[in-house]
Amino acid sequence: MQGPHEIDDTTTASDGEGLDPREAARLLDQSKRDARRQFSLSPPWVTAFGGAVILVAYGALWLSVRGQHPYEGPNLGVVGLVYAAVAVSIAVSAKVYQRATAGVSGPSVRQQKVEGVAILISYLGSPVIQGAMKNFGASDAIVYGVIPAAAPLIIVGTTVLGIAASKADWPQFGAALTVVTGGVVAAFVGPSAAWLAAGIGLFVGVAGYAAATSKRFGHS
Amino acid sequence: MGTDSLDPVIHAPARLRIVATLAALPDADTLSFTRLQDMLDLTPGNLITHLRKLEDAGYLTSETTGNGRASRTSIALTRQGRAALDAYTEALRDLLGGL
Repeated sequence: MQGPHEIDDTTTASDGEGLDPREAARLLDQSKRDARRQFSLSPPWVTAFGGAVILVAYGALWLSVRGQHPYEGPNLGVVGLVYAAVAVSIAVSAKVYQRATAGVSGPSVRQQKVEGVAILISYLGSPVIQGAMKNFGASDAIVYGVIPAAAPLIIVGTTVLGIAASKADWPQFGAALTVVTGGVVAAFVGPSAAWLAAGIGLFVGVAGYAAATSKRFGHS
Repeated sequence: MGTDSLDPVIHAPARLRIVATLAALPDADTLSFTRLQDMLDLTPGNLITHLRKLEDAGYLTSETTGNGRASRTSIALTRQGRAALDAYTEALRDLLGGL
């Protein structure tokens, strides 16, 4: 039985003589694609999974607040579901990150860690604004509706927008811009519709990013 | 079809895959020997032989840190190696475009 590939071209200097240029081109293309896929921190299937989680979570949030007069906010069951969905997404992302960066070291890995910390810190922006609004006596519609729906998209989206621009990652830039736009729309449509606008903005951004990265992995 | 214009150091299946894999990493990043072996599904002996050829040509660098079981070998494509892969890709395009 043959174990790992014993490509028998280790002994002579002209060991590629039998390799046809067409075959070499195919091998080169395939190797590049395989490597990109394996080193990727956001493979298309993970992004698509994130899109599905967004649909379920924001859909549930919107359904739970639709038609509330006065606005009271999502019920605790839905909030629990959203937290569970976020926890699963974080666990999947952490596993993918661990696999993608195994054995890799150098400046880009350090850069990714710094970017991760920046994004995590930016997540704190929304609860801080919520707390301040609550402190100043803002209504539940603002504190538990507009702010939690719109602010994370605007704040975290803008952080990712900056990171994407610094790396000239245009698919990520486009996705972040879409998310920020969704957040801006959510800020102006009222507390119930804010969840719908935020969900649509996030889903379109994430699904678009999944499509763009899928195309990148599909072609060299 | 003539392959004289193709760099013989790269124009071998295993070495082509090694160089293409390392080129997918950003500049100055390194990859551990074990991860590279895992990705390419080559035996350690086979991989070492190919890495040595590429290192002799100045296309990659390797550095081993630690001792015994705790040792770790990191491999990185050099600027020269990246340029060689670009030139190889260009030569392949010319060859196939001339069909």
